[in-house]
Amino acid sequence: MTAEFPRDGEANDQPPATQTLGEALAAHGDAEAVVDIDEPTQQLVLFRLNDQPFALPGSAVSEILSSDQPVYYVPGLPASTEGVLHLRGKIESVISLHQLLGLPAPEGNQKGMILLVSAAGITSGVRIEQLDDVSEVTQSMLQAPPETLSGTLRPYVSALWQIDEQEALALLDPEALFDAYQQGLG
Amino acid sequence: MPLHRGHHEQAQVALVLFCVGPYRTALEARHVLAMTDHPTALRTANAQTLLYEGGDHETPPNRWLTLRDAQAASDNNSTWQLGVSGDITLQQLPANTLYPLPKLLLSRRFSTALCGLTFHQQQLVLLLDARKLHPSLSQAPCS
Repeated sequence: MTAEFPRDGEANDQPPATQTLGEALAAHGDAEAVVDIDEPTQQLVLFRLNDQPFALPGSAVSEILSSDQPVYYVPGLPASTEGVLHLRGKIESVISLHQLLGLPAPEGNQKGMILLVSAAGITSGVRIEQLDDVSEVTQSMLQAPPETLSGTLRPYVSALWQIDEQEALALLDPEALFDAYQQGLG
Repeated sequence: MPLHRGHHEQAQVALVLFCVGPYRTALEARHVLAMTDHPTALRTANAQTLLYEGGDHETPPNRWLTLRDAQAASDNNSTWQLGVSGDITLQQLPANTLYPLPKLLLSRRFSTALCGLTFHQQQLVLLLDARKLHPSLSQAPCS
């Protein structure tokens, strides 16, 4: 006595989709190419300044603070220093990167979030205008900055990520930013 | 050891609080020798001009704090007066609420006397190092 088991597709009377062995193997191969778990990735915090896309390494951003975080003005500091914030028993500076990156100062009083950034033994808040995402990006998607990158940005950009045909995102080097700020730039 | 730690937690710093323009500011009380309503020393300076570029809105001082001249030789007892404004109060503030100026700002400050920050009555207070303050130019007493 033999038992017959229904084959896939028979239960709903729909003929099963047919595929050649070659197609099946190729599809499997494609899937492997997309999910390459060995490829190193980097977490990026994506944001905008003057509507231009920038990113900082996620490893350097310890906290994202809301726009209503009180910032206290301190006199006798350059205009690029917004002030200080009082955060859980610590005082941290809050700076703007616009002047350092050659961007026009934002218009209006609407303030965006603050990224708490640490690099080279220094921690400071960095004011951004818009937080876009926190994203894991494969290293192969990050390209070396091209020669055509403006001289103003070049010292602070460690890589570019071509998001699409229209837009490229600049990955900023927090250590270079803080170093330049301390040297009186921005 | 617990006694020592407890003592550290309770440590207080005596500060003289005043205003420099619109900003609440403080000096360690041990550096303030006297306070007068009018300048009496040969050398004076408005705190506002020493701390930041005041622009066109310099606030005239209404109190004068007498400080020892840190730039003078150690055996010289010369003094000078710092012009300040607002209410002058003596406060004992907990040492653990006095914060150093954030590292990033140290090299960008207008005056190296600005050494720290604290909060008093929900207001930011600028902490000044009296030893870094001195009248850069000798001035006749203001009338």
